[in-house]
Amino acid sequence: MSDIFSFNGSPKAGWSQPDPILSDSEVLETIPSSMLRNSPPAWPRASEPELVRHYTWLSRRNFGIDTGFYPLGSCTMKHNPRVNERIVNLPGIDRMHPLQPEHQIQGILSIFYEMQEMLAVCSGMDQVTLQPVAGAQGEFTAMRCIQEYHRERGEGHRNKVIVPDSAHGTNPASASMCGYEIIEIPSAEDGRIDLEALQSVVGEDTAAMMITNPSTLGVFEPDIARASEMVHSAGGQMYYDGANFNAIIGKTDPGLMGFDAVHYNLHKTFSQPHGGGGPGSGPIGVKEHLSKYLPSPIASRREIAEDDPEGVGDGYWYNWVTPEKTIGKVQQWHGNAGAVIRCWAFYRRYGRELERMSEHAVLNANYLRFKIMNPDSEVLTKIHAMPLDGAPTDFVMHEFTLSMIDMKNKVGVTGKDIAKRLLDYGVMAPTLYFPMIVPECLMIEPTETESKEVLDKFAKDFLNILTEDPDIIKGAPYTTDVSRVDEVWAARNLILRHPGNNSEDN
Amino acid sequence: MDQLPNLGREQEMLSIMGLNSMDELFSNIPEDVRRKKPLPLPPPQSEEEIWRDAQHLLGSNIDLDSRPSFLSAGLSRNFVPTMVGMLATRGEFLTSYTPYQAEVSQGMLQAMWEFQTMISELVNLPISNVSMYDASTSAAEAITCAVRVHNKKATQKDTIYVSELVPPHRMSVIKNYVQGSGINLHTLKHDENGHLDIDNASIAHGSCAVYVEQPNSFGILDEGLLDLKGKIGENTALIVGIDAVSLGLVSPPGDWGADIVVGEGQPFGIGPTFGGPIYGIFACTEKYIRQMPGRIVGQTYDTNEKQAFTLTLSTREQHIRRHRATSNICSNETLIALMGAMHMSLLGPEGITVLAKRVAASTQATRKALSSIEGVELIHPKSSIFRDFAIKIPGDSEKAVSFMDSKGVIAGFPMGLWWESHSSSILVGCDERTSESDISSLVLAIKEWIKEVKN
Repeated sequence: MSDIFSFNGSPKAGWSQPDPILSDSEVLETIPSSMLRNSPPAWPRASEPELVRHYTWLSRRNFGIDTGFYPLGSCTMKHNPRVNERIVNLPGIDRMHPLQPEHQIQGILSIFYEMQEMLAVCSGMDQVTLQPVAGAQGEFTAMRCIQEYHRERGEGHRNKVIVPDSAHGTNPASASMCGYEIIEIPSAEDGRIDLEALQSVVGEDTAAMMITNPSTLGVFEPDIARASEMVHSAGGQMYYDGANFNAIIGKTDPGLMGFDAVHYNLHKTFSQPHGGGGPGSGPIGVKEHLSKYLPSPIASRREIAEDDPEGVGDGYWYNWVTPEKTIGKVQQWHGNAGAVIRCWAFYRRYGRELERMSEHAVLNANYLRFKIMNPDSEVLTKIHAMPLDGAPTDFVMHEFTLSMIDMKNKVGVTGKDIAKRLLDYGVMAPTLYFPMIVPECLMIEPTETESKEVLDKFAKDFLNILTEDPDIIKGAPYTTDVSRVDEVWAARNLILRHPGNNSEDN
Repeated sequence: MDQLPNLGREQEMLSIMGLNSMDELFSNIPEDVRRKKPLPLPPPQSEEEIWRDAQHLLGSNIDLDSRPSFLSAGLSRNFVPTMVGMLATRGEFLTSYTPYQAEVSQGMLQAMWEFQTMISELVNLPISNVSMYDASTSAAEAITCAVRVHNKKATQKDTIYVSELVPPHRMSVIKNYVQGSGINLHTLKHDENGHLDIDNASIAHGSCAVYVEQPNSFGILDEGLLDLKGKIGENTALIVGIDAVSLGLVSPPGDWGADIVVGEGQPFGIGPTFGGPIYGIFACTEKYIRQMPGRIVGQTYDTNEKQAFTLTLSTREQHIRRHRATSNICSNETLIALMGAMHMSLLGPEGITVLAKRVAASTQATRKALSSIEGVELIHPKSSIFRDFAIKIPGDSEKAVSFMDSKGVIAGFPMGLWWESHSSSILVGCDERTSESDISSLVLAIKEWIKEVKN
């Protein structure tokens, strides 16, 4: 294999740039010699032709939505429209500084304002901030607001946050970073919220409950309004993890369910590309009583006055406002503005028809589940063991879970083996072993941007794997760049950087 | 609404499932929480209409490249090589998720392992993660990480010291991140040259961590920091915030005892982009490896003993350790770090040196030109500077910047917005693209302002 440090060519072949506007001696005379660097970093020495080929080669060894079906549960891997990338290359966003005065940024502010309003409308919240740059940071931000809310009311003693055992790991981690103690409650046997368990833990020390709905099992919690009542009557706040927001837009909203705060994963629901792990964008929305604690600043507007400079032409002047008791900043500037603008372009594609997006996400999930759980009788006879539903329900929402426990017990094939074997069929594996309450769990989320044909093919391939020789499945994958990777070796040896084969030359 | 391949085929799919209507799929949503009215939003748009609106709205902004600009304050008005955007937006990179399935993600994993190496080389510390959200969250999480590592042996328990010149927006992020851990935050003083009061710095001895920036928010390169580790001792983490480009010229903090280095990666890889997405650098020594935040890629082998890469040390992370995780970070800024890696590899050892000299030269040349204007006072005339420097001008600096703006020059950042005591100060930011003609425009604009104030 080749790595970038094997490039160590002539310094003359490197990328060219203009000379400094002062001579070396004029630059160096102003910096004490003790502060100067002894030798430059041992970075590769490569020309543009070599690097273009290196990174193209790397890209071909990476699987994205563009490569094939990506049913990664909880991650909403939908198609990323390309015009969004074109838009963020405009100088009006790419070459903008967050400290520029308001009159220079009217266009950005108007888009921020529109996004705040749209997210508030879709979620039943009163005020939105776009500053948090990831879902986890949104959770953290909202919990900070809730914390200040309790403190100001003289209820700073509320130190416990309740999360179901099926919650995303970020929920307890974010609350814990605020200093909260985590109370984890078990799910009921059908995977839904256990109201009795909830009742037994809520009390005058409850700061909040964090929950996602539909749950990580892909099932809508019918008792959600009751749970909200219970937490509220104990004086706690309800926090909605928006990871599964793609399932419900236009059908219901967190406001109707009784939530006080919510985060949105723009990189899930609104198609900011995941880019191999980020950037994301995790705005939060809150009800009125929490809005004065939101991070600063927030986009606002008023009717344009005669002596105002030219705006964007919609009759409004856009400006920043600071919430009265703001918690300050969670990101240094105004969040991932580039992501917000991409997601604005995505939202504009649907407008008031966002409901259709959720309908198709739910339609595709149910269709795929149906196709997997109802194989032809001919295929069924060859299958070693059928998957079990992660949750007993007639309909799922945007995703569903399967337990491969019977395959494991009968032929020794684990959920992980099946996930790895799927890679040989040219698709990404589903989310593995989450939620932890489902044994040998595969979590499948097709999203609305997959055609019926793709879903049919996946169901067929999936069922076919269940008929294969168990040893074949256990040895998978075979067709990928590398065969199964030894994660334990990596953790034991911790080779976290290149040893530096050209460092002596520098 | 051209993003739905199954639009118009709903009935076909429903009938295969034995259903009649879409509503049946949503029947588990109880009546009392159902939305009754359609969303009060505008109708859908085509790609063409969206592009038109985007051009109009974003075109109404005034971008930094459209005029002489001296606004930096933590971001760089850089030039990003064309190759970077074109390759990073290849769909295989752009549309992939966190590489949980290593076998089909070797490209991004290797690119991030190479990124880790380049950051490690840049700051001269052995370990780097694959990015944090920005410089401020990097600094904040470096502090909480250092407290977890050092608190046991610390004589000043749960205590950290931060330079008083850390800008307010970063300070605010730090406060939000540390308040939950019950950390006591003290500040370290500076002298009139903008240098850390190094003798006083020994008050931090025995605490968990010291956080300083090099250059600091006034652009000052402080020679005294080279001795700071000796003052605070082995058991107190020295955390240094850097300007990544400056390290092409000045000594990397790893050379002078830094335990953790953080900073803004943005100058490598992406434009200022209104402050995000950008990426935070996080590098450290082995001591912190099990307490550090963020994703880390390690080298390993596959079952055929072929070299391979995988995410490692995941047991620190939220999806495994939940509320006992070292951080809540999950999504990070990988794609922007990838763009950074491409930019850094294109620069190479010689290119980063030239780039750093270009920024240093622009800063020097601009300072020299402004210092000759009657009425302009350099706030730290004796200090070495990089990228930014502060001047004092007659009148209110916010008004001055606004006045010069009307003359077509973005003159810098009015520092009164950060610190009231600096209401007559402007932070002038330079970069590799600052030209002689930009400098002349700024000189002219400042002279006009001074004339305006006098009248």
